[in-house]
Amino acid sequence: MKIVTIAWRNVFRHTRRTIITAAAISVGLAAMILMNTLMNGMDKMAYQNIVQYETSHMEVFAEGYYREEGIFPLDTIIENPAVLISKITAVNGVKNVTPRVKFQARINNGIDELPVLAIGIDRELETEVFQTSRAIVAGQYLQTADDLLIGTELAEDMDADLGSFLTVITRDRNGTYNAYDFSVTGLINTGHPLFDRNAVLIDIALAQDLVAIAPGVTEICIRSSDDTGLQELKHDIASAVGEEYEVLTFREMNASIFQISGFKRTGQTIVALVVVVIAAVGIVNTMLMAVMERVPEIGTLKALGFHNVDIMKMFIYEGGIIGIFGSLLGCLCGILFSLYIVVVGLDLTSYFKDMDIVYPVKFIIKGELDPGMILLVFLFGVVVSVLVTLWPVRKATTLQPVDALRHT
Amino acid sequence: MVETIGLFKDYKVGKVLFPALRGIDMHIGDGEFTAIAGPSGSGKTTLLNIIGCLDVPTRGDVIVDGTNVNTLTPKDKAELRKEKIGFVFQTFNLIPVLTAYENVEMPLLLLDIPANQKKKKVIAILEEVGLEDFINRKPNEMSGGQQQRVAVARALVKEPSMVLADEPTANLDSTTATEILSLMHELNKKLKTMFVFSTHDKLVMDFATRLIKLRDGKIIGDDVK
Repeated sequence: MKIVTIAWRNVFRHTRRTIITAAAISVGLAAMILMNTLMNGMDKMAYQNIVQYETSHMEVFAEGYYREEGIFPLDTIIENPAVLISKITAVNGVKNVTPRVKFQARINNGIDELPVLAIGIDRELETEVFQTSRAIVAGQYLQTADDLLIGTELAEDMDADLGSFLTVITRDRNGTYNAYDFSVTGLINTGHPLFDRNAVLIDIALAQDLVAIAPGVTEICIRSSDDTGLQELKHDIASAVGEEYEVLTFREMNASIFQISGFKRTGQTIVALVVVVIAAVGIVNTMLMAVMERVPEIGTLKALGFHNVDIMKMFIYEGGIIGIFGSLLGCLCGILFSLYIVVVGLDLTSYFKDMDIVYPVKFIIKGELDPGMILLVFLFGVVVSVLVTLWPVRKATTLQPVDALRHT
Repeated sequence: MVETIGLFKDYKVGKVLFPALRGIDMHIGDGEFTAIAGPSGSGKTTLLNIIGCLDVPTRGDVIVDGTNVNTLTPKDKAELRKEKIGFVFQTFNLIPVLTAYENVEMPLLLLDIPANQKKKKVIAILEEVGLEDFINRKPNEMSGGQQQRVAVARALVKEPSMVLADEPTANLDSTTATEILSLMHELNKKLKTMFVFSTHDKLVMDFATRLIKLRDGKIIGDDVK
């Protein structure tokens, strides 16, 4: 028999009390895992949506364009993209490159009119950098200059379907109004709210004509061969294109979104910690009760020659055993709930359907489990359980043996 | 061997100082079977607790096997209890989650003894106290007499130089008390272990080979039979 055996038996003196305490820990830890899965999923979806549809890994702009990107300054564009594209393509680590022309426009179905982001795309190069063509859920990809791709939600808002005619109205770089009738040839559902609700995709040549910037483009999007080492690639590209142009990675262009992610994680950690603190108070309470009702027993152990450290060890093992049970249960519940979010997803549509949020994800959020985090959460639960045991145990072991024996 | 020299112990009850021991000088030799008797409040349990290093005197010295326990740290006192002193309590004080075997094994957990030897010692002492068929029973599955036998076995398993028994028969009927005392007396003769009882039970006094009488914290009689 060892001290840990005695601790094990003591834990099950009051099975119900042990279960309740362990359950309190498990709720806190399960919440931690669940929130982490949700945040990982949101981050992954946001990353994928940004890279696969919005910016690719990095973009090159004419110097000064990005600072005013919100107003689409057509005076500050890449006037000669062909030369620049060949320079960028030659940089080691660049996989594919495509130009885009972005401008503000309004879309009209003859009755209703909505503001949209118009994106002129190179029909061939676009598919090598972005996943736009794979997001078509009805109709087909752009085939001619008159074709138009719109998101399913925008189509719904505009009461448009395949074959419907929609007019894109904009002002060119000189301030002159231009309009063009397009036929809807494809509906896209990317999962990125910007593309599904607020954007139209048209042929780049027509876009250049509509805003009178031909052969210029507003940006050149770059897909790297590898997600890592983007900063290094950025420097290489910046050197290749020269100081008239600026190169920005997707992280730099979406700094606020990744900052929000950081805030959310902090918030998540605080909430989870509060739950864990509540659970820890439960353990303190349980251990305090265990210690108080066993003070005469502590006296007996002291009379037998047990040192304070042996007695503390026994109670610490007890706290540890409860912690291991609670943490295992918490991790198990956390994994089970998380798996539901990973496989089925969390549908928040009914809560947020009409709300515009900055985060580039839609409202069915699929989680992503992080095994490293689960291990950390498990260890955290056990360590907290052991640490909070120290206080009540220390209190009991400082008693004189005779006082402990007399304690009722 | 236990010796006390000018032993005093005061307890504070509220604001009043209550003198439990008022100058105890005594000497108990190895292998003695001694009862410290006296009415309630005479100081017999206090004396036993101080001899057993469970409590500290207000002043005076206690010498156990040549060591003045006043010079010992709490850790050293725990070592002394571990090595040399066995206790038997009025309320048995067995660990409820452990079996008779495990309760007896407890003091050996602290000693550096090989596992097979531990087992031999535990079985041997349980046979000695007549509980070889009860080794897997937990305290709540045994009678008071059986529990006290386990407590005696626990006190003796590490072969201490002395066993201190505080009112060991107080919670037992007279038949069981006689059995327990006979057992302890036999073990005293066989193992040469010193037994010191605190009691006001006539039966214990009859069994004891030496009777130290206490009243109001002082020795009023010391008879060797």
